[in-house]
Amino acid sequence: MRKVLGLTALLLGVIIIACSWEYLGTGNVKFLKLENARNLLTWIGLFGILSLGQAFVIITGGIDLSVGSVVALLGILAADLLAKGEGLSPIVVVPLVLTLAAVIGLWHGVLVTKARMQPFVVTLCGLFFYRGIARVVSGDETRGFGGAFPRLGWLANGFLPTEDGLLPVPFVIFGLLAALVAGFLHLTPYGRHLFALGANEEAARFSGVRTQRLKIAAYATCSFITGIGALLIALNINSLGPTNFGSFYELYAIAGVVLGGCSLRGGSGNVLGVIIGAALIRVLTNLVSILEIPSQLEYVVIGGAILFGVLLDEVFTRRAGAAA
Amino acid sequence: MITFLIGLLLASVLVGCAGPEQAAGPHEGAPEPAAEHIKVAFVTNNASDFWQIAKAGTEKAREELGCEVAFRIPPTGTAQEQQQIVQDLVTLGVAGIAISPKDPENQTAMLNKAAESVKLITQDSDAPNSDRLCYIGTDNYQAGVAAGELLNKTLPNGGKIMLFVGTLDAQNAQDRKKGIEDTLADTNIEIVDTRTDETDRLKAKENAQNALVTHPDLACLVGLWSYNGPAILSGVRASGKLGQVKIVCFDEEDETLQGVKDGHISGTIVQQPFEFGYQSVKLLVALAEGDASQVPENKQIIVPVKTITKENVDAFWARLKEQTGKS
Repeated sequence: MRKVLGLTALLLGVIIIACSWEYLGTGNVKFLKLENARNLLTWIGLFGILSLGQAFVIITGGIDLSVGSVVALLGILAADLLAKGEGLSPIVVVPLVLTLAAVIGLWHGVLVTKARMQPFVVTLCGLFFYRGIARVVSGDETRGFGGAFPRLGWLANGFLPTEDGLLPVPFVIFGLLAALVAGFLHLTPYGRHLFALGANEEAARFSGVRTQRLKIAAYATCSFITGIGALLIALNINSLGPTNFGSFYELYAIAGVVLGGCSLRGGSGNVLGVIIGAALIRVLTNLVSILEIPSQLEYVVIGGAILFGVLLDEVFTRRAGAAA
Repeated sequence: MITFLIGLLLASVLVGCAGPEQAAGPHEGAPEPAAEHIKVAFVTNNASDFWQIAKAGTEKAREELGCEVAFRIPPTGTAQEQQQIVQDLVTLGVAGIAISPKDPENQTAMLNKAAESVKLITQDSDAPNSDRLCYIGTDNYQAGVAAGELLNKTLPNGGKIMLFVGTLDAQNAQDRKKGIEDTLADTNIEIVDTRTDETDRLKAKENAQNALVTHPDLACLVGLWSYNGPAILSGVRASGKLGQVKIVCFDEEDETLQGVKDGHISGTIVQQPFEFGYQSVKLLVALAEGDASQVPENKQIIVPVKTITKENVDAFWARLKEQTGKS
């Protein structure tokens, strides 16, 4: 809990400092405008979903580097199936794409557990492999959904309660997913087993947890949630270049999770932290843009903020340890 | 066949390890005068729709001349990949290479090395200090000027505009920007900022949306690279400002053309990649046959840009589909 407090303080601190700086400089605060809030919440939703998926794998002590390429492959497949030629119905395509997503994760899980390969290696190969498949499938041509599929598009571009409302639909989906994931991880025995497995796999196995099964399920869930994110991101951008669509997204997802207090060694972390971590990264990119800090500095700001955040986290944890 | 493949593999491994010195060997002693046996290569700088159109141009030239064309796409579009591709092509023994150098200045040595053993021309992006025989492509400064003129027409009363591009270190981005700036220098159109997105399309959309928040009085958004057009359109649509904010962009992605057709985009400046492909192959084959008469004095063949607006978008799009064979 203490970790989440520290992170929330950091998030609020960044926003307050940036806003007051902007206010002192220009006399108004664009960051707090409704329009900006609507944009920002959309991006937090889209990228937050990827971080939620990633959290499952990171809690087991693994990592999924293939997220960006999986996003590209699934997004392009969806666009191909829906919009090319006659086109299939979304009722067929959406379950199909999500099933494929889960199968990809299942495959990663099997390689990690049964074949005893390292998660880094398995998913690194995936990063190349799925990107390549996406390029083959599309023949390197940009894909999009055209202007069609208003209802499906609403999931990625719509707002609640009305079209002029504050809450973007992707953000609401992210919220619902986060609640589900939090319930699973923090309230069910399976969730506790997952943390136990991440902390000490041997010990978990000896105390009766079916570690291999659980691990495979974690990878499948990660890819499944990534699949949801892929569909939403693809529908939101609506112009998917096979070579670069989604590249780097795995790193944003991982950054959100790590910033949110999950250790890459596994066994620790909580969903609230992941939500705030993912939000913090989007807030930073948004601020760089809104405050018209030169684009060149953006990565410096993000890299610096993550480093600072994790460092702060470490200090907090040590203090807590010393006090206990 | 298998022996050939193994040989090929060995050759590329050798090139990879031993560096460019040994790259030239295998194609000596095979003089083949007729066009049917001439093999030329076309090397792009990344993978995009743009190059698919150029590919259609190379196909047409191939059918007309009966030569062979190797069309090579560096997967992630880096200079290092281009170097490897060029070295492999030289090893394969192609007669000529038309390349769009990613980083002309730093690739000059590599290009010169290749020019020693094959007929080398540049297309799309020039390397004027290299030993290339000719350049075929757009004058991106002129393309910028064309965009500037379109902006003048779109915003007769002036106003604030913002530019969007993938990266500003690319020569074509700089040239286009300069062309726009020079054309707008004495007008009351003001360029307030240029934002980059490192070729991430979501970021490109995000940049457009942020711009509308930061500068609510923006009159026009200008996208310098091909995907910037669709990204801006999508961002303006998401912000609910379609029709209130003008858009001017470059190149001919489907979404862009649809936007022009619907009246959401004022116009787009297009190059003619089909001509890049078609003319490059024709010129390379002529050069390989020893005919250098097509190369002009200044060693530059400029393919003019076109301005596509609502008036001519239908005709342009129809012709594009015919060239690329897309329905």
